[in-house]
Order: sequence, then C-alpha cells, then structure tokens
Amino acid sequence: MRSIDIHAHLTPQRFWQATEKGGDWHSLRREQDARGRQIAIVGDQRGGLPPKARWTPEERLADMDSLGVDMHVLSPYSGFYNYGLDASLAIASSRDSNDEIAEMVKAWPDRFAGLGTLPMQDVNAAIAELERIMTTMGFKGAMIDDKVNGKLLDEPEFLPFWKAAEQMGAMILFHQGDGTLVDFRTDKFHLPNSIGNLADRTITFCSLVMGGVMDACPDLKICLSHGGGYTCYNIGRINRGWQGAPDSPTKPPMPPSEYLRRFHYDCIVYTEDSLRFLIDTVGADRVLFGTDWPYDMEFDWPVSWILSLENITQEEKELILWKNLENLLGL
Amino acid sequence: MRSIDIHAHTFTPTMLKTMAAGQEWYGMKYTDAEQRNIFVKEGKIVNVHPKCRFTPEERVADMDQLGTEVQVIAIHTPVFGYHLSPADGVAQAREVNDDIAAFAKEAPTRFAGMATLPMQDVDAAIAELDRAVNTLGLKGAELDTVVNGKTWDEPEFLPFFKAAESMGATLFYHPQPQHNLMLERTNKYGLNNSVGVPVEDTLLVAALIYGGVMENCPDLKVCVAHGGGPACFGMGRMDRGWQVRSEARVNITRPPSYYQSRLYYDIVVMSERSLRFLIDQVGIERVVLGSDYPFVGWDPSPTGWLQSLESITQEEKDMILWKNLEKLLGIETKG
Repeated sequence: MRSIDIHAHLTPQRFWQATEKGGDWHSLRREQDARGRQIAIVGDQRGGLPPKARWTPEERLADMDSLGVDMHVLSPYSGFYNYGLDASLAIASSRDSNDEIAEMVKAWPDRFAGLGTLPMQDVNAAIAELERIMTTMGFKGAMIDDKVNGKLLDEPEFLPFWKAAEQMGAMILFHQGDGTLVDFRTDKFHLPNSIGNLADRTITFCSLVMGGVMDACPDLKICLSHGGGYTCYNIGRINRGWQGAPDSPTKPPMPPSEYLRRFHYDCIVYTEDSLRFLIDTVGADRVLFGTDWPYDMEFDWPVSWILSLENITQEEKELILWKNLENLLGL
Repeated sequence: MRSIDIHAHTFTPTMLKTMAAGQEWYGMKYTDAEQRNIFVKEGKIVNVHPKCRFTPEERVADMDQLGTEVQVIAIHTPVFGYHLSPADGVAQAREVNDDIAAFAKEAPTRFAGMATLPMQDVDAAIAELDRAVNTLGLKGAELDTVVNGKTWDEPEFLPFFKAAESMGATLFYHPQPQHNLMLERTNKYGLNNSVGVPVEDTLLVAALIYGGVMENCPDLKVCVAHGGGPACFGMGRMDRGWQVRSEARVNITRPPSYYQSRLYYDIVVMSERSLRFLIDQVGIERVVLGSDYPFVGWDPSPTGWLQSLESITQEEKDMILWKNLEKLLGIETKG
C-alpha cells in the first residue's frame, strides 16, 4: 500500500549553507544556543530547529523509508514565511526556497512533490510566484499562514489571489507560522501550539466560508492542516453563529456545515476516536495523510499508526494514505 | 421533567433597579433611555436579554414551558467585577450573592444559586465563597475563564482551589461571550461567540489540567460550560505536547487526558455527534444538563432536545438530566 504525506516541511539547504559561517539568507540568520540547538532568527523572532531540519534530501529519503512513507509533498518550514519582512526579501526567499523544492522534485519525482511558499504581504507578487511555480515548475500548490501580518485571508485584497489559485488548480495548505491566537493569552505548557494551531485553523475555515471566498471560488482546493483544528467538532456552534449573523453581501446562502466537504483535512488529530469523528463529519474522501515531519509534534510511526486503527476500514485507510492525494494532486 | 440545569444566566434585582433609576452600578449603566444595553467597562456593551430581567414567578413559568425542573442561576459573566478595586469587587459580589440567594428562596424547589466572587483579591474571594456556600446556601460560584489577563494555573489561585475543595463548593466556569480572546484576531462574523467561547473553555480546561490544579485538588468540583469547548476532541494533541515538551510537564505526572474525567461538562455542544463524543471521552457521569438560558434556542427545549437523541441511551439521559447534578450539588428533584 502506498503512502503520500501532505504535511512534511523543508528547511532549505540554501538557508543552512548561507548561514554556515555566520552569514545571512535573505536577512535570516542562525545561532546555536547553550545546549547546541540551532536557532533560526527571522526579524525579531527566534525559532528552534530540530536536528532533522538540516538533513539532506538523501537523509530525508532514508528516514521516509524507515517510516514507510513513499512520498513527501514538500512544504516550506512555516517559520520562514517571512510575511513580516520587506516584500523584496520575502519574494527572494520564496523564490530561493521554491527553486530548491523544484530541484528535489526533479531529482526524485517518485518521492517528492512540491508546495511552494509565497510572499503574501504583496498579493500581486504572491500571485506571480504561484504562477511561476505552477506553470513552469510543476508544483501542486502552496502553503500559507492563517493570517498575513494580522489580516485574515477573507479580506477583499486577497480575493485576486484566491481567484488565481482556483484558476491554476493550486491546492492551498493552511499552516500557522507567526504565532497563534493563544499567544495573546499565554506562552505556557506549549498551548500556543497544542490549542492555538487548532483554534487558528477553525478561524480560517470560518473566515473563508463566512467571508464568501468559498462561494466566490467554487473550485478552490484547500487543505486545513491539523485536521482542520476544532472545525468539525465545533461545527454545530459555528452553524448557530451563521444563523444569528446579520445579512451581508458575503454571508453564505447555506450553513457552514454545508461547506465542510469543500475542504480537505490532514489526519493529524492523534487519537483514533478523533480521526473517526473527522471522517464521519467530513467524509473519508476528504481526509489526507499527514505527519508534520520533522517536528516534535509529528506522529512517531505514522503509517503503522493508521494501519493499526481498528475502527477505520481498509478502504478508508487506503483513501487516507494515498488515494485521495493521488486524485487531488494528480500524483 | 425531572431535571437540573447548571447553566442559566440572569441579572439581579438590585443591579436592574439601580440602573433603571439612571444610576451607575459599579461603573456600569444603561447606554440609553430604552435600557436594552449596558455599558460594562472600557467601552464594552452587553445586551440585556428580556428574560434576564424575569422575576422568580416569570422565570418559573418559563421553565415550566421548557420542561426544566430546577435552574442553577448565576449572574451573567459580562457584569462580573474582576476589574473593580478589591473593595468594590467585594461589595458587588456580596450584593449580587445576597440577591441570587433571595431570588432562589422565592421558589426553593425550582432554583439553586451560584455566587460571583471578587477574584482580584484571592483572600476576599475565599471569604465570600465561604459566606455564599455556608451562610447563603449557594452551591458554589460561577467564574470567568481568565482573571484580568491571568490564567487559573497561576500559583496565587491554589489556596482558592484548596478552599473550594474543602467546602465542597462547585466551580462553574464560563467565558466572556463577546469580549474574549477572539477579539485579538477578529471581530467579524460573530466568531468571538461561535469560536472564541469554545476556545476559551478549552484554554480553561488546559490551565486547570496542565497547571496541576486537578492533580493537587483531586476532590475539587469543576464544571465547564459549552461542554468544555472542543477540549475533548483536541485532547490527543494536548497529550502529544505533554509527551514532547518539558514545559508541559512541570506540574503534572500523567498526560492531560488522564485528568479530563475529573471535570464536569455541560451539554451545550450543539450537535448530537459532538455530545456522543464528549460522553465517550469523559464518561457519562461527568456530563450534565446545561442550557445557556436564555441565549440558546433549543429545539424544542433543552430537555426535549436531549430526550430526542437516538445515540444516547435513556439511562445516560437520566444521568445528564438530573442524577449527576443531584449528586454533585446535593439537590433533590421530584419530577
């Protein structure tokens, strides 16, 4: 049985090499902390990088073999969105990162496919880069943050981006980068990640539906990482919010639950019960295999975990592990 | 119908009388002559639902219509006074709690009450909880999910939890329905209520678990509104965070999911599938009737909705409707 991973990040070798001797990569720098951990510095943000993040493609392939993962749909490291930097820097770092992914896909076409990163602080530049990677480099889409310098993606300025993504057939994977909602409350217990990621994905679902993006772009392909966060469990309350919302030009004609099947979701929900709930709510054809490689929140043995589940049928496992992604991305 | 509803909001007679006379009530006042909205604090406005003005008789008549036998009433969270000076906070809490107790005594087989507490002063909050429970006969207190920006895992709150545990008081947690964390991101589409509220509930569950409160106070009685938000659905990710991050393990020896069955959760989750999931995760003895009265329009009523569900057994329904809360709160229902 095949397995294709929609949620596998890449920290470009170009970053590691450029910063090897204290240099910078499009203004990004790197330090080692007292424990020897590699720290990436982006603007005034500092983020720890795990050892696997600097692995070469060959080392990555060997790890994929050990995990039983046939294919990574590569997406950039979310700490390098660079939306807060000058657009010129983000344009350059996006092109550089995307070029590296293209090289990996070209060298190992059976093992890698590509999702790009885009300079979303400049919508026209983001559309241009999406067009470059989709039309000339064979990418499958791009990964973006749930917000761009505080703005949600339902703002009218982003509508041309959504129209372009729809027209190009690009799949957009949502993944937090610059903090989450929970950072406004606390930095304790890893909650900005363990709760914040799920809150942010839920906000993205709601804003795209309630903001009319899904109605304006009926063929848009979206994947919400981390199982779409709390979206499916909380959909009853989200529906009630829609009922009570005042009429507006963008208010969708149907309740938000009717849009659940317009999205895809990765399977990173950690428990069999939650995965079963997700499948029962959105349909097995909407759930995609994802692992969060190479971070500490990834599944330890992702393929064997899926295969071991007793309440998921064999047909559902095959859909999740590879069939859905083959269909969706033409792999 | 034999039932106890732990999640029922009201305003109190003295508060309404004071503001109706055009006076400020702990810094709050009506926005205009129509008296439909209240300036709460810092420019924040809360709408006054007509049913939050009901007299005990009017409220009992409405409960009869809904098939609710007992309501556990508490003052609505937007008028909580954590932002006041400690002295004003104590005065407000005492006045509110006297009013809630008097309101409940008007129909003692139909009402029980929850206090509000001046949490900006932990010692005063403990003293007022003691008075509310042991003198006024209230069942515990309703609390916000955050205290002036502080989360409930802060060590300064531990004496409060110890005191509540020894008193046998129930703590019912309910976030701000409008002015909550979501406003840091957006004020659109009512997401503060539809998503912000359950996220606040989840953060509260996380604070009590990761903060070691549930480990240090094993007999503490805590109930979280809105089914604890999606805490149970996202518990696997919380467990994973505990496994891989040392900062998530500073206060607890077991994974977060181990502690989730020490809390109680109401049924305001708004779908049968989610309620079934909650029961399966936390255990049927931890799920209780709550209606969010008068803000949620249940079809046909809170008890009627529950009774109509096919995936919940009759024994489970009875536990949710009255058995669990009879035990937790020491209330007798008759039906």
